[in-house]
Amino acid sequence: MVSSPITEGLIYDKKLSSVGPAYATDPDLVHEPGNLDLAMKLHYLRGIYYFERQAFEGLRILAIKEPMFDWLNKYPVTSGRFRRAESGRAYIKCNDCGVRFLEAKCDKTLEEWFQIRDASLEKLLVSNQIIGPELGFSPLVLIQLTKFKCGGTSMGLSWAHVLGDAFSAAEFLNMLGRLVAGQDLGPPFGLAQSLTKSVISNDLPKVVEDPIAVKRVEPVGDNWLTPTKFKLEPFYFDVTPTQLAHLQSKVGPKFGPFEAISAITWKCIAKIRGQEMGPNVVTICKKSEKENKVYGMLGNTQVVSVVKADFPIVDAEPSVLAKLMREEAFDIRDKINEAMERENGVVDYVVYGANLTFVNLEDAKFYDFEYRGQKPVRVSYRVDGVGDEGAVLVLPGPNEGEGRAVVAILPEEEIGGLEAELKKEGLIA
Amino acid sequence: MAPLLTKRTYQFVVNNFLKLIFIPIALAVSSKADYIIQFYNSMHLTPLHLLCTTFLILYTLTVFLVSRPRPVYLVDYALFKPPRSYRASFAGFIEHARMGRLFSEPKSVHFQMKILERSGLGEETCLPPALHYIPPTPTMALAREEAELVIFSAMDSLFTKTGVKPRDIDILILNCSLFSPTPSLTASVINKYKMRSNIKSFNLSGMGCSAGLISIDLASDLLQKHPNSNAIVISTEILTPNSYLGKERAMLLPNCLFRMGGAAVLLSNRRSDRRRAKYRLSHVVRTHRGADDKSYGCVSQEEDDEGNVGIKLNIDLMAVAGEALKSNITAIGPLVLPASEQLLFAISLIMRKFFNSRSKPYIPDFKEAFEHFCIHAGGRAVIDELQKSLQLTNEQVEASRMALHRFGNTSSSSLWYELSYIESKGRMRKGDRVWQIAFGSGFKCNSAVWRCNRTIKLPVEGPWADCIDKYPVHVPDVVKL
Repeated sequence: MVSSPITEGLIYDKKLSSVGPAYATDPDLVHEPGNLDLAMKLHYLRGIYYFERQAFEGLRILAIKEPMFDWLNKYPVTSGRFRRAESGRAYIKCNDCGVRFLEAKCDKTLEEWFQIRDASLEKLLVSNQIIGPELGFSPLVLIQLTKFKCGGTSMGLSWAHVLGDAFSAAEFLNMLGRLVAGQDLGPPFGLAQSLTKSVISNDLPKVVEDPIAVKRVEPVGDNWLTPTKFKLEPFYFDVTPTQLAHLQSKVGPKFGPFEAISAITWKCIAKIRGQEMGPNVVTICKKSEKENKVYGMLGNTQVVSVVKADFPIVDAEPSVLAKLMREEAFDIRDKINEAMERENGVVDYVVYGANLTFVNLEDAKFYDFEYRGQKPVRVSYRVDGVGDEGAVLVLPGPNEGEGRAVVAILPEEEIGGLEAELKKEGLIA
Repeated sequence: MAPLLTKRTYQFVVNNFLKLIFIPIALAVSSKADYIIQFYNSMHLTPLHLLCTTFLILYTLTVFLVSRPRPVYLVDYALFKPPRSYRASFAGFIEHARMGRLFSEPKSVHFQMKILERSGLGEETCLPPALHYIPPTPTMALAREEAELVIFSAMDSLFTKTGVKPRDIDILILNCSLFSPTPSLTASVINKYKMRSNIKSFNLSGMGCSAGLISIDLASDLLQKHPNSNAIVISTEILTPNSYLGKERAMLLPNCLFRMGGAAVLLSNRRSDRRRAKYRLSHVVRTHRGADDKSYGCVSQEEDDEGNVGIKLNIDLMAVAGEALKSNITAIGPLVLPASEQLLFAISLIMRKFFNSRSKPYIPDFKEAFEHFCIHAGGRAVIDELQKSLQLTNEQVEASRMALHRFGNTSSSSLWYELSYIESKGRMRKGDRVWQIAFGSGFKCNSAVWRCNRTIKLPVEGPWADCIDKYPVHVPDVVKL
């Protein structure tokens, strides 16, 4: 990564090590990601949790690492590494290899950082690593602890989406907070002893179309990086409660913040893209209503649905778009499951960015991560590996989550235009 | 059945020879009792004669009693238990090697993988924090920290177990082969625990994995000189400064095998410790093969072509170890073997030397001399080799194999982890004899023989407490990574 004059020297004293389960996992245990998990394998969640001084005050790095061993003991899957079965389907060998741990220092205080903070700087606080080129040596989770000059700390979580959705990732990290507070996490999640999904299907693959929610990309092999035409960059903006109220007045009181923000952003994106109809297919992801079978278990259980508009988006009323998103979205997960099954799990799909994607992370419990009684002052997330159509994530806002934090991941050239449009709509001051 | 009966009869007769011939002699004497009484009366001894004779007998007895070696008791010992957060899994170890200095040397990484697979180590061995970094950060400060963590926690545990106060310690001996800072580690112990100013302290460095028994030997000698004293012996190896950062194969081996560990042992010659001591030292036998060039050069610390310092292990290490073991056995045999075995060995030797008999040399059955064996867990190969040459059963080498599996090669402290294993399994009974054998650079083979002073009751507090029920585990010949 080329560092500009501003970023050079900003983050220094980097150290690399690993943390892993406290107890040895029995040998030869595996975890097989399901079809929906494998569909997400080219995506990565990058989250940054900012803490003020008191959270990590007086703690040496060894004291911070120690509880992580008991924490990771509960999730042996996160310390494993990918392998390929004979059929080519990827599975995780739970060999206790570990989670990568980076330490770094920043010569700015938290306050100074928040003033200069932008998308490219935030990339310095969390690892940008992907899985590959060697599957067996690529960690699935990377944690970066950066200490600021004032004593504040940021914890960067780099999470392979194949392990689970953002709701899972949030719960995973929240467990660490609970452990540090003294709670007993209970026994580790169970693992399988043999591969059951990696059976080579003898049926000839039926030549059927891929479901509309996914895009098939050229085979990436063992280098799990989404090939895109454009360079996608994240663009962050906060929506204050006042702005939210203003939005909802535009859209109508029936719709929640997510729908309001998404509808207006959809319209803005349509305007800058200047296409005739579109983008008239969008994917919507949100938390599943069903509770996880086992509390805290990881997995891609979020609802993935698709909405198709048969009218030009540019001219549509935001309320109409919001209504469409709420009422016409149909759950497409079964189709994705089938498609992956047909391909024996070997095909490379992209979900976020196959169509313009809106991800509702309002219910993600990011701010429940408490370290020694301190909640993060700010949580920032983005997704890497998004496809060319782009994605918009709506996260809970800081300060008791009344506002919203929005991340738009779009082709670089579109960001300027989007910013202008959003200003017009009043989403940005 | 018949050969076993013969063997057992032969052993009984030879080992209890003196007791057996005592009976006929006693009978003979008592039958001649009248004659003896007559002879005594004919001597017409005066009271003065009797008094002088009594004094002579008492004097001789006193000189004899006083000049006997003082018994050396092992009151108790404590072992360092590494925190779970220092754990080094195989996969993690290999990945770190791959990501670090050996990034451009996949062959070296592959070699290390092969070593780990066959090493006999388990997945719960521990490395110090400096060696968990990619690449390792072996600074002096971190080395001292490791030393303080290992030594002080073992010492704290020892003081708690024995109730001894630091100011009561008369002798302090510490051995740590590869880390010897100034002020010495012994000095840092004395500083931390505020020990007396007239304490006799010794810091042994450079003496390899067998230095633990050298320290015991030194302590034992000092306890002969100083009556009513106690001694603490600390055996450890500090790994932080010694990770090899190059790619030469013969030097990568120690990286794969050496792990964190440390032991603190309290020895005493005080009569008050006679009852509560766990063991009594019977013998220490040291053999040094340094005069032989091949032995001298088989383990050496040197720089590789790129200037990285590491410990080079020669290919003929096993052969040299075998020779050293033979020397040591020859020296220790007469001290510990029962008369029956010594007689057989002597006969076999005479037959081969003077009568040119082609028969195989008789290998004394050391199982007759000891109940328990602690073979330094230098690596699986060492334990296999010793099991073969001494014809030991699997149970007898179990302590060594399991200590290697759970803690890795902890150098001079491994003998104590093994002893703790035997105790934790409830196998240590009063009167049991233990043989500790350690090999080290030089090339040295040192042995110590202990006799158990009191049956060790369960549960045993120590590093095995939380996992002893899982053991013994089956260690596969090759672990597939």
